[in-house]
Amino acid sequence: MDGSILISARNISKSFPGVRALDKVNLELRVGETHILLGENGAGKSTLIKILSGAYAPDEGEVYIDGQKVTDFNPGVAQRMGVSTIYQEFNLIPYMDVAQNIFIGRFPKKHGLIDHKKMHADAAEILNSLNMKVDTRSLIVDLGVAQQQMVEVAKALSIKSKMLIMDEPTSSLSERETEQLFATIHKLNSQGIGIIYISHRLQELQEVGDRVTVLRDGQFIACKAVNEVTVDDLVSMMVGHSVDEMFCRDYQPRGAEFLRVENLNGGKRLQNISINLHSGEIVGLSGLVGSGRTELARAIFGVDKYESGKIWLFGKEISDHSASIMVEKGVSLIPEDRKNQGLALILPVAENIVVASLGHLFPKFFVSKNKENEIAMKYVTELRIATPSTTRLTQYLSGGSQQKVVLAKWLCTKAKIFIFDEPTRGIDVGAKAEIHGFMNELVKEGAAVLMISSELPEIIGMSDRVYVMRSGKIVTELPHTEATQERIIEFAMGADEIKKNRKQAEMAKESSK
Amino acid sequence: MSTENLSLKKLVPHSDAPWMSSIGRFVALIFVMILMTFLTRSPDQGFVFLNIDNLLNVVRNASILIIIGIGETIVLTAKDVDLSIGSIISLTGVVAAIMMNKMGLSIPVAILSGLIIGALLGLVNGLLITFVGLPPFIATYGMLWVLFGFAYLILQGAVVYGFPEAFRFMGNGRLFGIPMPIIVMAIVFVAAYLLLNHTTLGRRFFAAGANPEAAKMSGIKVNQTVIIAYVISGFLSALAGLVLIAYSNGADNIFGSSYLLPVMAVVVMGGTSLAGGQGSLTGTLIAALIMATINNGMNILAVPGTWQKLVVGTMIIGAVLLDLWIRKRK
Amino acid sequence: MKSKTSSFLLKVPSAAWVILLMMIVCTVFSDKYLTLGNIVNIIQQNAVLLIVALGATLVLLSEGIDLSLGSVLTLSGVNCVIVMLYLSKLGASNGLAMILGVLAGLLTGALMGALTGGLIAIGKLPPFIASLGTMGIGAALALVFTDSSAIYIDNPVYVFFGQKLDRFINLSLLQYFSMPTFIAIVIFAIVWVILYHTSFGRYIIAIGGNEAGARLSGINTVYWKWMIYVLAGVLAAIGGIVLAARLQAADSSVGVGMEFDAIAAAILGGTSFVKGKGGIAGTILGVLVIGITRNGLNVVGIPSLWRPAITGSIIILAIVFEVVYSQWRERSK
Repeated sequence: MDGSILISARNISKSFPGVRALDKVNLELRVGETHILLGENGAGKSTLIKILSGAYAPDEGEVYIDGQKVTDFNPGVAQRMGVSTIYQEFNLIPYMDVAQNIFIGRFPKKHGLIDHKKMHADAAEILNSLNMKVDTRSLIVDLGVAQQQMVEVAKALSIKSKMLIMDEPTSSLSERETEQLFATIHKLNSQGIGIIYISHRLQELQEVGDRVTVLRDGQFIACKAVNEVTVDDLVSMMVGHSVDEMFCRDYQPRGAEFLRVENLNGGKRLQNISINLHSGEIVGLSGLVGSGRTELARAIFGVDKYESGKIWLFGKEISDHSASIMVEKGVSLIPEDRKNQGLALILPVAENIVVASLGHLFPKFFVSKNKENEIAMKYVTELRIATPSTTRLTQYLSGGSQQKVVLAKWLCTKAKIFIFDEPTRGIDVGAKAEIHGFMNELVKEGAAVLMISSELPEIIGMSDRVYVMRSGKIVTELPHTEATQERIIEFAMGADEIKKNRKQAEMAKESSK
Repeated sequence: MSTENLSLKKLVPHSDAPWMSSIGRFVALIFVMILMTFLTRSPDQGFVFLNIDNLLNVVRNASILIIIGIGETIVLTAKDVDLSIGSIISLTGVVAAIMMNKMGLSIPVAILSGLIIGALLGLVNGLLITFVGLPPFIATYGMLWVLFGFAYLILQGAVVYGFPEAFRFMGNGRLFGIPMPIIVMAIVFVAAYLLLNHTTLGRRFFAAGANPEAAKMSGIKVNQTVIIAYVISGFLSALAGLVLIAYSNGADNIFGSSYLLPVMAVVVMGGTSLAGGQGSLTGTLIAALIMATINNGMNILAVPGTWQKLVVGTMIIGAVLLDLWIRKRK
Repeated sequence: MKSKTSSFLLKVPSAAWVILLMMIVCTVFSDKYLTLGNIVNIIQQNAVLLIVALGATLVLLSEGIDLSLGSVLTLSGVNCVIVMLYLSKLGASNGLAMILGVLAGLLTGALMGALTGGLIAIGKLPPFIASLGTMGIGAALALVFTDSSAIYIDNPVYVFFGQKLDRFINLSLLQYFSMPTFIAIVIFAIVWVILYHTSFGRYIIAIGGNEAGARLSGINTVYWKWMIYVLAGVLAAIGGIVLAARLQAADSSVGVGMEFDAIAAAILGGTSFVKGKGGIAGTILGVLVIGITRNGLNVVGIPSLWRPAITGSIIILAIVFEVVYSQWRERSK
């Protein structure tokens, strides 16, 4: 076995109900390298990482650490074998200081009591080696995200990890903090520590990656050295031709303006957003995870507050904004997290369907269970929801049926504006097609749909127009004739920026000749 | 593809088909009654328990528990617990007593004032929980002590007794041979059953309790709904207090204090989930009857009062554990 | 721009304002208030509360709650006294009887705490209902054991630990020193060491701050959560034993409602009910708020009928103030 390989995953396959997340994927990390794991949302990166860190067990394939095949793998074992994972939600304790968080569970002791002096000294040493100037006595809750991340790195170092897996480490960092992170990564590499780095951001590749592995739809596409690929190569590797999906879109003529957002600002997450939505159209909202799409949806729907901006509904500017007001006016939001935000799982299907329409379905305050079930049954048949009855508890339905219940809830409100956030995530192909069909019907009948999706074929196949968001801003609006996977990814990842910078650099070089 | 959640989020599993467990509870009630019948059989008096007066006694004692339990069931369905019920009972009972005896106000005024005060106290609970954001157990437990303090203050350490005949009818009287408390309980039960299961407000209670986030995103004004639930609980506690003082013809400042544990036991035994979104009024009713039966049996057998308290404490824990175990098995 | 004064203001705990306000009001209404004797009185009368409040603070730090502390205190005092009397009757010396009695009391606290903690950490019951149940059981047992009456004891070795020192040596200066206060200070120091200098203490904060993260970092959260309640039970037991020594009697009604004071003291001291924020230093302030309120009402001459109502209201208002104040503090950061 090659001694310079830290961890190697061979032929890894993993399926979840209805989805094949990984199909015979390979990944290899060498001593001292930073290996980037690249791919769109849903390509399988998270699943692979969870397998490498021991959180999931693969259905097929093996993992080798230091040349030894691993059996009986779990997060504890992984840590002991030198694998540390830093997820996007940190495992830090908010009201404990940095040193204690680093040495949690392994406090240095003197006479049975914690040796604070030694702990802080050791912690300071590790942080210094990372060029981090953080007071070891600061509480985690007082640190910024970048510093918290460093504490996680220090924690990993303190248990003598040989490899670090970092999941989207730069998603919440500023440019300067990102630079510092890269410096740290270089340092770690020089000490022989290997890093697997999940990212979306193409511009980061050059600065910090040695090799890159591209995944697409759970398949391993390629593993190349970073200096042997171009941005275009990577984009086309990530995109490719996916499963044949026929989208039945009957494009309608655009009707009246239903929704207009102008200069919406909400801190860093939403910067100067302006979009509009018309009757009869499906507008796609694309972008990477973390680009602010869900935040925008929630802000429009009235669930989250924003700092400034104006919203017009059906031509009239709204002054009072809250979810219940928006619902009354005919706006609906089908959330990304349907189990926690879209449904009350412990209640029967019928109750979930009528919950948003109680006022106008039962104006006289009294609810007849018969009428409730009748109305619910109407939607169950119309949407072909797979449930034996309307009194079945919603938690027992499949993902696809649950999503349809959420949709039924909003159809019941006779809403005119539908905001879908990842409408077909985690749903089998058949139900997917059905939901697309319903969306089509909706706009045919004059509704307006805003669809957030990370599945490019769905965005391209269903949208009249596509907005692309990146880092809280709308970076472009594409008519569906111009919306190709390549173009969308370019904008979503900032490849357009890279190309522009490169062009400018070239032009500068030309003119100085 | 749904991502596994590595965190320890424990969802209290909820059961299906509440009506089925009602049947199970009903069977348990019958069983307990049969048990008591035999346990209390006396050689010369026969089956003392089955004496019609005794049975009415049981149901009458259960009635108070049921009235309060209904309020607690509603609050738990919509949000979380209300620990202040005992003190609302005492305070409203004391106020009404003083109004009738010391201030010479008419009975309707006294009754109405008591009910309004109960509702207002529930409002305070609701505001502390929704707007200030105090956890329900802290807010209502704090109110418990404050209100007992006020009851003590208003009563000035004395005991008020001797109410007008018309008022006492509510506790002592009989309509068609049935003691009034039972009739009051029946009316409240029917009204509450309709409210919780057959009105839009009731649906909002379930939605707010089952998943407040989803309810908010469905346009429901969750805070408003929760406050109404606490107002109802306060109102019903006040009603129970009035019936109680009518029955015992007197009021001291702590007469409601012994109800907290039994009410919690009864509500949990009745299948109402502590996590919100699942409330069974029928379950509470049956559980209250079970508890009243057991209490009655212990009284007939002359079990000392202190041991009876022990039984109640153990019953709560046993009931919750059993409930959790059943849910986990499903 | 944050001025220096507002930065300073942000650090002042809300309880300090309440104490200041109460002291000003009380001094205005009574000239007997701001005397050394009275201040010392306040401290001495609340020594037991501090001990119990320390337990409540630890539980609160772990995002839990324990409503049974009051009845654990009562039951432990009862058991301690009963065992002592029994052993004395059998002919044991005062010292031996006391030692075994105290052990019995501590054991009571530990067992009750283990029951509560077991239901919560292992049985996964919601803390308030589990502790409500054990509170009922504890209160009932105390009633049963004492036959609903007070039990008197005059074992001098034992009683010593509950009195002011001037009872034994005739120096008026010594009236300012009471054994319960000493014991409270010692217990405070011990709990301080546990919380800040042992793994156990750090695990309390970890469980309250990020239980899932703590688990993933390898901590056995179930076991340590359980132990928190055992420790709280033992602390309540110590309080009960000292209180019975002071009263020279065990009574089933002494601890009623003390859990409310203890929890309120913890909250007023700045310990939040989520996230493991806070500490025991603040609990002293919280205890002072409660002690000053009760004492103030007494000294100013508020009729005893009004006291429970006003005390309760002030405490609730102080809690609301603390919650709102800390939210304001968060927003001003």
